[in-house]
Amino acid sequence: MDFPEFSFDTSLLEEAKEPEPEVTYDLLILGGGPAAMSAAVYAARKMMNLAIITKDFGGQVRETSEIENWLGFQSINAKDLADRFEEHVKGFDIAVSLGPSITEINKEADTFKVRTDGDRVFSSRTLILATGKRHRPLNVPGEKELVGRGVAYCATCDAPFFKGKKVVVAGGGNSAFTTAVDLSKVEAEVALVNFIKGWQADEALQERVKQIGKVSLLDYHQVVRIEGKDGVTAVVVKNRENDKEDKLDANGLFVEIGLLPNNEPVKNVVELNEHGEVIVDCSCKTSVEGLFGAGDVTTVPHKQIVIAAGEGAKAALSAYDYLIKKSLI
Amino acid sequence: MGILKEKDKEKVANIFKGIEKDVTIVMFTQEMECTHCEMTRTMLEEVSGLSGKLSLEVHDFVAEADLAKKYGVDKIPATVLFGDRDYGIRFYGVPAGYEFNVMIEDIMDVGKRQPGLSKEVMTELSKVDRPVHMQVLISPT
Repeated sequence: MDFPEFSFDTSLLEEAKEPEPEVTYDLLILGGGPAAMSAAVYAARKMMNLAIITKDFGGQVRETSEIENWLGFQSINAKDLADRFEEHVKGFDIAVSLGPSITEINKEADTFKVRTDGDRVFSSRTLILATGKRHRPLNVPGEKELVGRGVAYCATCDAPFFKGKKVVVAGGGNSAFTTAVDLSKVEAEVALVNFIKGWQADEALQERVKQIGKVSLLDYHQVVRIEGKDGVTAVVVKNRENDKEDKLDANGLFVEIGLLPNNEPVKNVVELNEHGEVIVDCSCKTSVEGLFGAGDVTTVPHKQIVIAAGEGAKAALSAYDYLIKKSLI
Repeated sequence: MGILKEKDKEKVANIFKGIEKDVTIVMFTQEMECTHCEMTRTMLEEVSGLSGKLSLEVHDFVAEADLAKKYGVDKIPATVLFGDRDYGIRFYGVPAGYEFNVMIEDIMDVGKRQPGLSKEVMTELSKVDRPVHMQVLISPT
């Protein structure tokens, strides 16, 4: 019998190539930002058998708008740069676990075991931890419940949703002031709330916000709670000088109070500094043999894309050297 | 007559190496098979032959009406992917074109006994408090 000429397409299956639990890899890269992606390119070029475990590709780069300090480009759109990074990585035959979080890492003899929240366990002789940082939450009532319903952490991503609306920005540093500027551009009515006494943002940014003129500045105030059911309706703040509470009508709250290292899977495995960053030496070695660190999750100063990418390259080459010296590759 | 190309069979067999637990493919057709029923059955015979973890059960939609009812199958060709339990996955018609990718990925997910979704998504989905019947209608072109 002649069947209709249907095709049985398998093109999407290549993209779904996932790490295999039964394989012991030379290297597992944990994370998907510039450090991880750069490490992947260097390791693939060394013909290492590697896999990547990440929630997404691009990391914090995707939360920025324009990048003006990536060598070779006077200015490049952050999303375009992240897409180019991703495309570069996908040009190699690398298995990727995309989505599940890493829940546990441990070392058994010379092999690392990485467990993900889908309860899958992957094995490797070396690891590069490049899990980056995430936004620090306020930890006030209403925050968790209203994420995505007015509570936001990325002005570049979400400011356009607040066109002409009333928005509170929690924070007093550069990212809080940049958020205030971004929101003012979409004609939002902005109130900046700073927990510590005295604004920490650069003078130039403070001056720019003052020039905008419409931004309320509430110094030495704290956000007490966020109100609303299906969306933010008000933000309650407290004057830390006199403990007086005030309810600000608001449709949104941007949290810009710094970043936390994504160190959870290795918290009890490697040495961390007082900020929770993974301590690395100049070869990206951590306190655990065979475990390397790169990018924002580590103690390396100056959290920049170019630095993360450089550290990722170094970490991959160090992992390769380690395997050579141990005659494991 | 074979349906799948040799190179596609090789690729799928390679992917199937990752199947962790047994998957049963339950297919409903009927004695007088329509073209699409026969095509689906032939394709599933080929697919199920690519891994020792896969088995295929072919049932008659008319003669085994009670079984079809049990699976909630009301039209043919119907393909059910079954693991330790019924996950509610049904393909009606020929899972051809891009949907062939989807069926292979679904087989992998059933073989893992988990859908590969993040904890956050699973938490959100756990809030769904009533049965939801999701249907995706596609054209195999």
